[in-house]
Amino acid sequence: MERIFVTLLFLATSCLYAQKYTTKTGVVKFEASVPSFEEIAGENKTASAALDTATGDMAVLALMKGFRFKVALMEEHFNENYVESDKYPKATFKGKVTGLDVAKLTATGGSYTVSGDLTLHGKTKKVSDSAKISKSGDKIVVTGEFEVTPAEFDIEIPAVVSKKVADKVKITYSFTLAK
Amino acid sequence: MKQLLLAAALVFSAYTHAQDDLLSELDSTTVEDTYATAAFKGLQVVTLQSTKMPAQNEWYFVVSHRFGTVKNGIDEFFGLDAATTKIGGVYGITKWLSVSASRHTLLKVYEGSVKYRLARQSDAFPVDIVGYNTVDINTFLEKEDYPRIEFADRLTYISQLLISRKVSDNLSLELVPSYVHKNLYNPAIENDSQFALGAGGRMKLTKRLSLNLEYAHNFDKPDFYKNPLSVGLDIETGGHVFQLLFTNSQAMTEGGYLTNAAGDWGDGDFFFGFNLYRVF
Repeated sequence: MERIFVTLLFLATSCLYAQKYTTKTGVVKFEASVPSFEEIAGENKTASAALDTATGDMAVLALMKGFRFKVALMEEHFNENYVESDKYPKATFKGKVTGLDVAKLTATGGSYTVSGDLTLHGKTKKVSDSAKISKSGDKIVVTGEFEVTPAEFDIEIPAVVSKKVADKVKITYSFTLAK
Repeated sequence: MKQLLLAAALVFSAYTHAQDDLLSELDSTTVEDTYATAAFKGLQVVTLQSTKMPAQNEWYFVVSHRFGTVKNGIDEFFGLDAATTKIGGVYGITKWLSVSASRHTLLKVYEGSVKYRLARQSDAFPVDIVGYNTVDINTFLEKEDYPRIEFADRLTYISQLLISRKVSDNLSLELVPSYVHKNLYNPAIENDSQFALGAGGRMKLTKRLSLNLEYAHNFDKPDFYKNPLSVGLDIETGGHVFQLLFTNSQAMTEGGYLTNAAGDWGDGDFFFGFNLYRVF
């Protein structure tokens, strides 16, 4: 009896463990374009993300050098002068989905509040947004968007280009997570 | 005893669970790309080529000027009256191969070149290595003056290896072994084949401003001409790179620059100029 109890307990623990959904091909985009000027946007298709459906914990990691731009020179400027990728190679998010119940997830999806710490260019800020989370088959899809300003992360926009770079940078994300 | 062991095991298992941080787990499985970016921001250090390559399908429009010598002062407006121009384009075929063509007013030279990356600096390799080959066609030589001239006589070939290292965020250094072969030369003051070793560097002053310096030692050059020494300032404004410079070699082709430097820094005999790049 005792032995069965112990086994069950360990099983329960490892079960908790297995409530984790991950991806290595998450998409994170940002856009700081100003109408009538050159498009300023980058897309990273190799972000990794993880969601623990038991606790609602969520984490995202994107390498700065993984952002691709339409104009190669813009990508170079982005890495060298704006986000300083050699010094700060990653952007990370560590947070929580409030009220997530995996059993109630549907294919059409529902809105959930995601909040946590976004770390970028060596600075950490609290961010919060409403994410759409859906489940089809054994995959959970999390999408959403929020805005940040370069100043919050000590990213300097020089005066000569300040008119061409939007004050608010829109960040959108889409993760298709699997067990 | 059994009870104790069970309790310990459970505490331990709960403990490891709490330590299980999602982010550090992602972190441990992410592989970073360690290639050094942007050792140089311009395609040229000053006049020598840098190890920077255009990206695939990227067009560069290039306009460069070297004014006349500043030595004659206000009379020639510090060289403005004798300005020479290079106009051309560079195209990136792939991210490791580019071609360029340009026309120089000095000696009416047409220049064609190919630039190809052989190695990139990363955690696994210490330097960037780029090959650069150029053919210059001198169309200044008139048939009337040289009745027996053939097309081959107009040609100069230059082969260079560009080896650079981004030493720190602010400092990049480059070595440029070069071989120049001229089909037509004046044996009284020149050799047809010349080997030169160039060295250059970039020191960033601010994020968008850098001070560049380069020098080349020509080993096969009789005393008539000098070795080229140039200093420049890179100014970067988004889609443009401006390079303002002073040099004692007015020619902008590699062949002329490395072998025919006529100015002398010591005598105040040098040239003002600039390179302007626009990226499309």
